[in-house]
Amino acid sequence: MPPRVDKKLCDSCKAQQEPLCEQICPGDLMTLGQDGKAYCRSARDCWDCMSCTKACPVGAIETRVPYQIGYHVAKLIPLMGTDTITWTCIDLQGNVERFRYRNRGEAEAF
Amino acid sequence: MPPKEPLRIGVYLRDRGGTLSRWCDLDVAARTFAKSKQIAQWEVREDWLNPEGQAAIQDAIQSGRVNRLLFVGRFTASEDEDIRGLAASAGLNPHLVDFCVPEEQGIRGGDDARDLNTKRVIALFAMALARARLLQPLEPVELPAVDAALVVGGGMAGLNAAMVLAQTGKQVYLVEKSATLGGRVAQLHRYYPRMCDPRCGLEFLVRRLRDSARAEVLTLATLEELRGSPGDYHAVVVQRPRFVSEARCTACGECLRICPATVPSSNGEGERKAIHPTGSLSVGQAFIVEREHCPPGCRLCEPACPYAAINLDQTPAHHSLKVGALIVATGWDPYPLDQVEEYGYGRLPGVVSNLEMEKLLALRRFARGNGHGRTGGGPLSVGFIQCAGSRDQRHLSYCSGVCCSVTLKQILALKEQAPDARCVVFYMDIRASGTDELLYQRVQNLTDVIFVKSNPATIRPEDGTGRLRVRVEDTLSGKEVALDFDLLVLAGGLIPSAGTLEVSDRLGLPREELGFLESHLQCQPWESQRTGIYTCGTCRGPMNVSQSVESANSAVIQSLRLLGSTVQVQPPYPVLDRTKCDKCKRCTEECPFAAYAFDEQGFPVPDLAKCRQCGICQGSCPMVVLSLGNHTARQLSAQVEALSERAPVKGQPLMVALLCENDAAHAAVGAARLGLDPPPNAFFLTVPCAGAINNATIADALSCGIDGVLVGGCRDGQCHYVRGNELVRKRSSDLAEKLRKMRMDEARIRFEAIEVNDARRYRDLLHEYVAELTRLGPNPFRV
Repeated sequence: MPPRVDKKLCDSCKAQQEPLCEQICPGDLMTLGQDGKAYCRSARDCWDCMSCTKACPVGAIETRVPYQIGYHVAKLIPLMGTDTITWTCIDLQGNVERFRYRNRGEAEAF
Repeated sequence: MPPKEPLRIGVYLRDRGGTLSRWCDLDVAARTFAKSKQIAQWEVREDWLNPEGQAAIQDAIQSGRVNRLLFVGRFTASEDEDIRGLAASAGLNPHLVDFCVPEEQGIRGGDDARDLNTKRVIALFAMALARARLLQPLEPVELPAVDAALVVGGGMAGLNAAMVLAQTGKQVYLVEKSATLGGRVAQLHRYYPRMCDPRCGLEFLVRRLRDSARAEVLTLATLEELRGSPGDYHAVVVQRPRFVSEARCTACGECLRICPATVPSSNGEGERKAIHPTGSLSVGQAFIVEREHCPPGCRLCEPACPYAAINLDQTPAHHSLKVGALIVATGWDPYPLDQVEEYGYGRLPGVVSNLEMEKLLALRRFARGNGHGRTGGGPLSVGFIQCAGSRDQRHLSYCSGVCCSVTLKQILALKEQAPDARCVVFYMDIRASGTDELLYQRVQNLTDVIFVKSNPATIRPEDGTGRLRVRVEDTLSGKEVALDFDLLVLAGGLIPSAGTLEVSDRLGLPREELGFLESHLQCQPWESQRTGIYTCGTCRGPMNVSQSVESANSAVIQSLRLLGSTVQVQPPYPVLDRTKCDKCKRCTEECPFAAYAFDEQGFPVPDLAKCRQCGICQGSCPMVVLSLGNHTARQLSAQVEALSERAPVKGQPLMVALLCENDAAHAAVGAARLGLDPPPNAFFLTVPCAGAINNATIADALSCGIDGVLVGGCRDGQCHYVRGNELVRKRSSDLAEKLRKMRMDEARIRFEAIEVNDARRYRDLLHEYVAELTRLGPNPFRV
């Protein structure tokens, strides 16, 4: 299911030509529309990697969980720390589970 | 990547008078951290700054036993510096020294608090060590500099700035748009309170500049372009042609007889021919041709000049100047009083502005025999209308501060020329502040001068006499009065000049809400919001001549740090890690001082000479790749994670406050000093500006189980770095919105504006927040 952008929160990444979601999408699907807000150009081609959701600095993007996995209620929300990522999973019944991981990869100099 | 040298931290506790060991059990603390391989030494001393202590520190560094130092206890700012200096002289980078102050966190007090204090101090040590582990050896940076400065604007402020700069031995270029120097002050008849002729002071300044080998005055010139950095600017100045050779013109005046074109009087300048003398306040005596006023194709003056000094084909000259700093002194314009329709300026003859009144006085139009404006017999009658177009929602909302004193001065000057003149001043308030009150008293004591507290309602020409009839309601007596005048002087206000607006647009200098060049008025009024570009005089706001001169001097003194052979930038400064930078441009946009520019590959590069070291860029970076030396997001994250594992009291909410060093942190320290204890599970960490707090740090805090994060910044309009508090408030509200979606309580992030003296309020806030967090229950992330 394609990512949905909250138009009120999206600030077009300060109107840079390539906002962060566009830069990070591996399928080159996210871009800025005529209204200056981000959107997914081709819903059927999105494979739900959620890179855009993680990258958005203002948290404007929500990737809808495919209906086969969880219906309307279900949500999968990432929260980015400095070298951690925390996932909040809300299932069909509204149960909440959270998972916290350290990001892999070399820590930078600082 | 070369293997990192193993950390060997020396933890040195200062137990002055045995207080620290009384407040908490340092042995228990020592045992808690005994297993840490990174701690190479743990020692408690009465004092580390006496000779034995200092020797111990030096020995530990030089023997290689430690390569990081963490001092625990209270140290004054100068002791802090001494210790860093000691470390540096022993061979350790002074930025690898850190301080931890238990007292500031409220860890103090009697025996019944000892157990709790011990637990709290252990949590605090864990945080301090987490930070110490990530300290980097920071080095100052040297940038190139030039010891020359550019002053834009040749009025009172600009001339003073240029002269003082030349006196300090710096090369100075003074760029003035018009052909003459002296600006608006040259158009004044007198200045108060001494009632001197301004030309005295101005000629002195101009002569000094003319005679100085280090000052170069470029008239008819404007700054077209500025490139480079503070200390190392490249300015392009374009000089309009004067069409007359300065070397050849002898000012004989032959051309004046031939010239057919006349330029009408305007904006304070008198009527003149298209070719005319430049005026005494100029460098050199050469004439000037105002070509835009010549009849098309006319070249009559060229052959008429006996010295062949006229060249009507002269082209503009381009000057390429290397300078270290810019001082903007572009001045003011009078508010266009024709906008105040009811006063009839520009419509009724006999209504003049206060600036035009200076001209009339200077031309001695009121002296006996000159009879300006006097219609019919009897003494001259002059009315002064204060606040013309000022303190008025329809025109200028503000008060220009000088117009009342100007009117008083003008009355004194008028009475000198026409002792029997009758003056009436219509005012709302007479704002002759400070010693100008004495000026007010002098004028009140003159005969035939009255003050009527009112705003004139109508001004109409009287048909019979040719005078102007003013109807007012005298608000003090309640009576309606009609008075007739030969002349009405409108005391209009000061607005930023067209030149000021131009320079502001060209150089990207922010303007404040009234249009004047913005600066931090309390802390650094002399510098614009762009480092390296200083401001002085009325381009910064309405002021009188004395204030203008002082502002020029202060701008010069402050600019001197950029006018040498190099500019030293001390840490901390931001460093960018390019591997993860996505060039999203947020750092560039959010920096209040426009310190970022893009390189050829599109990466943002901070100009360290422009940087004011607030860290707002670090806070804005979604990829967390910007690090302000030793105030990094990763250090903060490591600290909050260390805290999350060591809550002093189980079962109570664990809370961390991230406070800005300028305001909020002082409230926290103040609370501790006043003995106002924080909740036991609350600690604070400081950042240079609240805007330096990255959302990732708050996310880390919450995701590792901290129940609440309090972000403490300044009030709107009070942030030292313009808008750090607004930026962090927006970012944390975005994060709170995400928390809501994650089915967490938004209240777990809270932004508060905390002022320096809010000690009591801060303590109450903490207790209130902890109560709220208790109601919300523990963080769902708690293991």
